[in-house]
Amino acid sequence: MKQQKKSRSYLDIVKRQFSRNKLALYSLHVIYVLLFIFIFADFLANDKPLIMKYKGDYYAPVLREYGVEWLGMQWQDDFKTQQWKLLTNKFEEGDWAVWPVIPFGPNDYDLKRKLSPPNSTHLCGTDELGRDVLSQLIHGSRVSLLVGFVAVTIYVIIGMILGALAGFYGGWVDVIIQRLIEVMITFPRMFLIITIVAVVQTQSIVNIMIILGLTGWTGVARFTRGEFLKVKNEDYVTAAKALGFSDFRTIFRHVLPNTLTPVLVTATFGVAAAILIESGLSFLGFGAPPEQATWGSLLSSARDMLPSGWWLTTFPGLAIFITVTVYNLVGEGLRDALDPRLKQ
Amino acid sequence: MKRSILIQLAVLLLLILFTNLIHTESPGNYDEILGQAGGLKVDLTGDVKIFNSSPTDETPRRGGTLIKAESAEPENLNYYTSTSAAAKRFLDYIYEPLVNYDYTTWEYDRPILAKSFEISEDQKTYTFHLHENITWHDGKPLTSEDVLFSLKAIMNPYVDDAPLRAYYRNVVEARTPDKYTFIIRTSDTYFLNLEFMGGFAILPKHQWDPDGMLDRFGIEDLKNPQVFTNESDIKEWADTFNTNPLNRPAGMDAEKLIGSGAYKFHRWITGEYMMMVRNKNYWNTEKPHIPGFAEAAGYLDTIIVKSISDATAMLTALKAGDVDFLPRMRAIQYFEQTNTPDFLQKFQKVTFVVPAYSYVGWNNDRPYFRDKRVRQAMTMLIDRDAYNKYIGYDLGIPTIGPFYPFSPQYNDTIPRWPYDPERAVELLDEAGWTDHDGDGIRDKDGVPFKFIFSVSAGSRGSKLLALMMKEDLQKIGIVVGIRQLEWSVYVENLRDRQFDCVMLLWIGGLQSDPYQIWHSENIGNRGSNYIGFRDAEADSLIMAARYEMNAAKRDSMYRRFQEILHEEQPYTFMFYQRDPGAYDRAFKDVKWIPIRPGYNNVSWWRSSNEAQVGMAP
Repeated sequence: MKQQKKSRSYLDIVKRQFSRNKLALYSLHVIYVLLFIFIFADFLANDKPLIMKYKGDYYAPVLREYGVEWLGMQWQDDFKTQQWKLLTNKFEEGDWAVWPVIPFGPNDYDLKRKLSPPNSTHLCGTDELGRDVLSQLIHGSRVSLLVGFVAVTIYVIIGMILGALAGFYGGWVDVIIQRLIEVMITFPRMFLIITIVAVVQTQSIVNIMIILGLTGWTGVARFTRGEFLKVKNEDYVTAAKALGFSDFRTIFRHVLPNTLTPVLVTATFGVAAAILIESGLSFLGFGAPPEQATWGSLLSSARDMLPSGWWLTTFPGLAIFITVTVYNLVGEGLRDALDPRLKQ
Repeated sequence: MKRSILIQLAVLLLLILFTNLIHTESPGNYDEILGQAGGLKVDLTGDVKIFNSSPTDETPRRGGTLIKAESAEPENLNYYTSTSAAAKRFLDYIYEPLVNYDYTTWEYDRPILAKSFEISEDQKTYTFHLHENITWHDGKPLTSEDVLFSLKAIMNPYVDDAPLRAYYRNVVEARTPDKYTFIIRTSDTYFLNLEFMGGFAILPKHQWDPDGMLDRFGIEDLKNPQVFTNESDIKEWADTFNTNPLNRPAGMDAEKLIGSGAYKFHRWITGEYMMMVRNKNYWNTEKPHIPGFAEAAGYLDTIIVKSISDATAMLTALKAGDVDFLPRMRAIQYFEQTNTPDFLQKFQKVTFVVPAYSYVGWNNDRPYFRDKRVRQAMTMLIDRDAYNKYIGYDLGIPTIGPFYPFSPQYNDTIPRWPYDPERAVELLDEAGWTDHDGDGIRDKDGVPFKFIFSVSAGSRGSKLLALMMKEDLQKIGIVVGIRQLEWSVYVENLRDRQFDCVMLLWIGGLQSDPYQIWHSENIGNRGSNYIGFRDAEADSLIMAARYEMNAAKRDSMYRRFQEILHEEQPYTFMFYQRDPGAYDRAFKDVKWIPIRPGYNNVSWWRSSNEAQVGMAP
């Protein structure tokens, strides 16, 4: 019994601590759902059938699209025109198609259905071009989450490296990096980002991710530096030095892994912040290009309709709210779980 | 995590099963044709030249205030150097020209400051006889000296008014034989000469050139580089004119602009409002102020232009009674947000014509748009009527060319290109744009048919059209990219001809001269023919029409010119514009004209039957 308890890993302890926080646990499940939507967006909302039998042959158009986009494959001649909805009229005896849950693509427009309130066909209504809002929300989640993750990954890497260097070496390296951090944080971030976006001109989410990544690292760097200062005089660090390991190895193999956990907690909050900033930029028209549905741009185009079309603001707003909230809740749960003072 | 994914997959499968079993196509719910939503549709067709949307038997009364809301505030109020339409809209009540449009005939020959005018036999000399009792707002008399001064100000090469000055290049002489006569001579017989020689607003010399710095110089001097580069006074005066504090008379105690018009400048509070008051000592009390339009020189005591940049806030202000007149609402507001009985009882909604047309311009020098068959195909691929109906709420007036559809210049015998994707695909195949390399994209000579639709960041309509085209053209193997640009960058790209496809609006007049936009001379050197339209016959027609003083002959040339344009399709002509607006029903004799901005508040008056709303900004 006693031995079993001892053999429990650090991860197990954290897991148990975390699962005590019910709110964080549920939030984590919401994140799983979001990830699921993120990965399977094309299978959830698409104007193409998932599987179909057409004139005696079987096709999987949604999968085929990946092939066309990434592998240089071609559409079959029957489908070159991409008139999927009209295909059903040409069905012969025994043909069938299985449609995705939401049988509309994000850019699939139908002027006759413009600005329909939520109904059984369009669960979240349609926008001013008659595009399905739910389909746009699902595909928009890709942009939001991608921006969140990639931007945070970029800045965590930059921040950790700079923080590690500053903390490990101290002296003039520390002074320079610290001043750099101070210079960066004196710029209002949103303002800086808008300025850069305006200069870059071409609109793409890749730019947004990079810009967010390059401007967000200061917090992580300070965190890592602090952790390094705390850890660098521990015995195992001295041991690594005494064994003659290179600085590189000492920093990245021995010290950094032990400072990682608090950084990951801030990263969780960072994802939420990045999603919010991306939405804000898209709202202002600086974010993704017009043909790319994002939550922020959905909100922005809805603004001109107000007070008509409540569904155009409500659903994207809810999506942003829920996503940002669950990331913050999970981050909080993680922080508490990792805090040794709360350990029983 | 694993369990979570499994559960989600299971839920998804169930959902797919469920939706596919019950899936039915529900009919669209937007099929009902949009009515006029309780508003009046102003059609100025040539038979109806002035439209009165609030006629009454009552005799007009003086007094009251009109508050209108506009989204843009002018950057300065100098009539010649300001480029904003908002400035002109305001200043047109304060300054007057010698001659202006006759609203009853749509001809440019109504004398205002001029009592009469004569045009010489050779159509080159214009003699204007001024009224002898004209006074400026400060009581000083207006004489031919002021007219000559104004012309000099326009023609001064150092004044920041290059676009305006371009129209006065043909002036060779201007004289004032006496205090009330002004003679101007031109080198050519350009058919719009009267519109420019008599149409400029007259500024008071004693306010803008009190020391008479320009007195020594004649028109010839201002055109002669040897004189104007050597005489420092010309440049010095222009500098003071360009930077005069009077250009921004903002604030409570700024010096007031002096004009001669029916309204006097009163106040401009930046970001809030501009205000003018009726000129009680207006010089002309005898004859009808504007024949067929307004008997008196203004009935309203005060006209206030509030600047409200947000459309939603504008409508809220109207509903709250803070504003009486919205000249430009959003279509969605007009058709969907102002249909309550209360609103319709208090306000009159009107859609009125503004002489401006929207178009999609194809850069004729791009490999894919070089062939007219491709351009015709592009026109036939745009479902213009659906766009007009669903995006534009049926406000557009279809047009096949650049002229106002109800003017004699317009060729109404040409049928519009239909929306016909099948024929368009045939034309593309004919022109050689087929998918040679089998990558799903049409190409010719190794150039894939991929183009960028440039969209100005503020323009919703063009963004929506671009999105529609992207979806539609992708299905026939043409890739459309969309690039959103800030207006300044957009204009810069236009001038440098760095674009594939644009959607824009040209603001025209009742009569327009196609030279600036369509003549091949204006392709390079940053002229307005930035799509690069070249056609020898069109060029010669444009030039011949320019100096043809016989209107009927000129119009027949323009009709032929439109046939060429129609065949070549350098633009896809979309629609002449109608603006939706609303005003308080307390106002009577609200009249509409097809001349910018579409109305003139001089005819409006506030009925005494309605409660007078106090206003003290």
